[in-house]
Amino acid sequence: MRRVFAQMRKELTQIARDRLALVLALVLPLCLMLLLGNAVSLTVTGLPIVVQDLDSTPASRDFIDAFRASLTFHIVSWPSSRPPADAFLTNTARAVLVIPEHFGRDMARGRNTEVQLLVDATDANTARLVQGYAGQIVSNYRPEAQPVKADIRLWFNPGRDSKKFYGPGVFVMGISMFPALLAALALSKEGEQKTILQVYVSSISAHEFLLGKILAFVAIALAEAFLSVILLFSYFGLSFAGDPSVFIVATVLYAFCVAAFGSFIGLAIPSQAAAIQAVALGGFLLTFLLSGLIFPVQNIPSGIRWVSSMVWARYYIEIVRDALLKGGGWPAMWWSVVRIAQIGTVFYVLGWRKLRRMQLSI
Amino acid sequence: MTRLIALIRKELGQIRRDKRVLASLIVPPTVQLLLFGFALNPTVDHLKMGVVDLDHSPQSRDLIANMTESGAFRLANTYFSTDQLGTAMGRGDLDAGMVIPYRFARDMERGRQPDVQILLNAMNANTAAIAQGYAQNVLRNWSQVYPQLDGLHAQYRPISANDVSRRGRVVMHPAFLFNPGLVTPWFIVTGTLGVLLMLNGSLIASAALVKEREAGTVEQLLMTPAGTGEIILAKITPLFLLLCLMILFATALIRVAFGVPFRGSFLLVLAGAMLCMLSGIGIGTFIATFSKSAQQAQLMAFFVNPPLASLSGALTPVEAMPQWMQPLTVLNPIRHFGIITRSVLLKGSGLMAVWPEMLALIAFTAVLLTLSVMRFRKQLG
Repeated sequence: MRRVFAQMRKELTQIARDRLALVLALVLPLCLMLLLGNAVSLTVTGLPIVVQDLDSTPASRDFIDAFRASLTFHIVSWPSSRPPADAFLTNTARAVLVIPEHFGRDMARGRNTEVQLLVDATDANTARLVQGYAGQIVSNYRPEAQPVKADIRLWFNPGRDSKKFYGPGVFVMGISMFPALLAALALSKEGEQKTILQVYVSSISAHEFLLGKILAFVAIALAEAFLSVILLFSYFGLSFAGDPSVFIVATVLYAFCVAAFGSFIGLAIPSQAAAIQAVALGGFLLTFLLSGLIFPVQNIPSGIRWVSSMVWARYYIEIVRDALLKGGGWPAMWWSVVRIAQIGTVFYVLGWRKLRRMQLSI
Repeated sequence: MTRLIALIRKELGQIRRDKRVLASLIVPPTVQLLLFGFALNPTVDHLKMGVVDLDHSPQSRDLIANMTESGAFRLANTYFSTDQLGTAMGRGDLDAGMVIPYRFARDMERGRQPDVQILLNAMNANTAAIAQGYAQNVLRNWSQVYPQLDGLHAQYRPISANDVSRRGRVVMHPAFLFNPGLVTPWFIVTGTLGVLLMLNGSLIASAALVKEREAGTVEQLLMTPAGTGEIILAKITPLFLLLCLMILFATALIRVAFGVPFRGSFLLVLAGAMLCMLSGIGIGTFIATFSKSAQQAQLMAFFVNPPLASLSGALTPVEAMPQWMQPLTVLNPIRHFGIITRSVLLKGSGLMAVWPEMLALIAFTAVLLTLSVMRFRKQLG
């Protein structure tokens, strides 16, 4: 045990001396979180919309005011002489609302009247949102005329604030990427500079060596997690929705899982440049694409969905979102915690076997 | 001129011997385009809906059937009380819930306005917003159609229907232009193309320049009569030609695998792609002037690439970013190229519509390449 801690101390001193590594470990994740937590979002506001009012009556202007009052749309002017669909070609508008000539007359007579909404569907998701938002504005315009009233309640994130959804996701991304990167760099450096041979001839066992290394990066990951959680609580306005013990246990296990992954890569690939690429693939691409960070896992085609059940970040994202937004606690999340522990153990065993084999071959 | 040609021939020979460069031109574009196109899909469908039906009338059952056959929601379970529904949502078994109140049918028949409560798990703001729109649409359409349905059960029509006090409704007819089937990959794939050109351009360029420095052969190159500008130009030209092949390959892939329509002039897209790639090469050479080894250049890319890719509007709409961040995207070549591809390919716009973006790309290329030539010269001088 003493040797494990000595190894860990040596590793931490080395990192503390390397300024680039420190920046990578502690500053970059926070910057990334601020940047991506804000930028990655699919819910749009302030979409430019062109209104073609062929009626020009008080009734039609009243109807347009309902659109003007919404935060989702802002009305841009467009000469009535040009066809409205041309506004899409020059990217001036994302939607066009056409109010027909008889709008005011129909409304006065108590008849149903029709308006047309042209939507630029280049971005299918935004087009769906535009349709939904516009539909809500239209049905709220005369709520008493609707035969059935829908009372829609949004749970767990009532303001529909996408920062609260993507903030935890980006936190997971930072923690999956940087400790793993540092661990991979440290171990592949030993391989590249052949200092690993010194380890082989010393009395330290493979378990002690690997555990010492991993514990050092677990410590870094936990420090990073601590700083990030402060940011999540302050800037992103989140707090524990329920029992925080799941989150704490899962974070420690996840830190171990990520450090073990990085160490395994570093041992398997004794070249720093190649190891960085491998971590970029495993830590970044898989986390970003197949973990439900931005896009729901259910939408991944079933042919490759099985890959995502092996992506460790996926389980941690579920836990973090549950702890900060839903508060389902242990009954809802115990399986994800177990999965993280399983995957971490697999990486540890793989790394250990790699190390032991190399030691024997010398 | 002969000097330049000789240098280019040397570079071509070096690349030809390096099998990895050729692989990196074909494998990453294919994998990324396919993965991004198929996996990044924000479509909302088959949300698990739990239902509490306190009314148990033909009307309420018809509403449930309508709601769950729409494809957006599917019936996961029915509950006897709202408390059970609430706990199920908290556990994560459900994405949505619907509560139909007691007396729902009676209120409808009497021409009163009954309430239906719909609960949505709003953790994912996008899913919630789209699901909200869906639910409201289904409810609206159902309540328009329902009174006219002829079933076995008795029909009641509100007596007050033709009353003077009755107020008309506004009925909205949405029409989706350019992508009427709402095919999601079209947006992602056209954006990914820009990210791909940028990242691959910068990676390959920085690797090519750093390799010379790592091997310590830069000094030999400088001893030749060629100037710094010529050396960089000779480095870039073969890469540029190779990456042009990659553009053709990637555009063919998005045409064949995703069926993206090519409505505008393909030459315009090609020109934009070349410019975008050149600014990528510019970023790569710029990074290379800062780093001494391949490892450092790659770590540097970690700092540069995530913001470039995420602040580009390539994978998520620019309008979804906070107000203060949106102007920053103007500094991103990927954003301009994304506008060009989407306008030209999907909407069929011409040069008249996209010339500002073209101009911006030309400016980026010029600035970045001049900067890296200047830094390169200063470092070695």
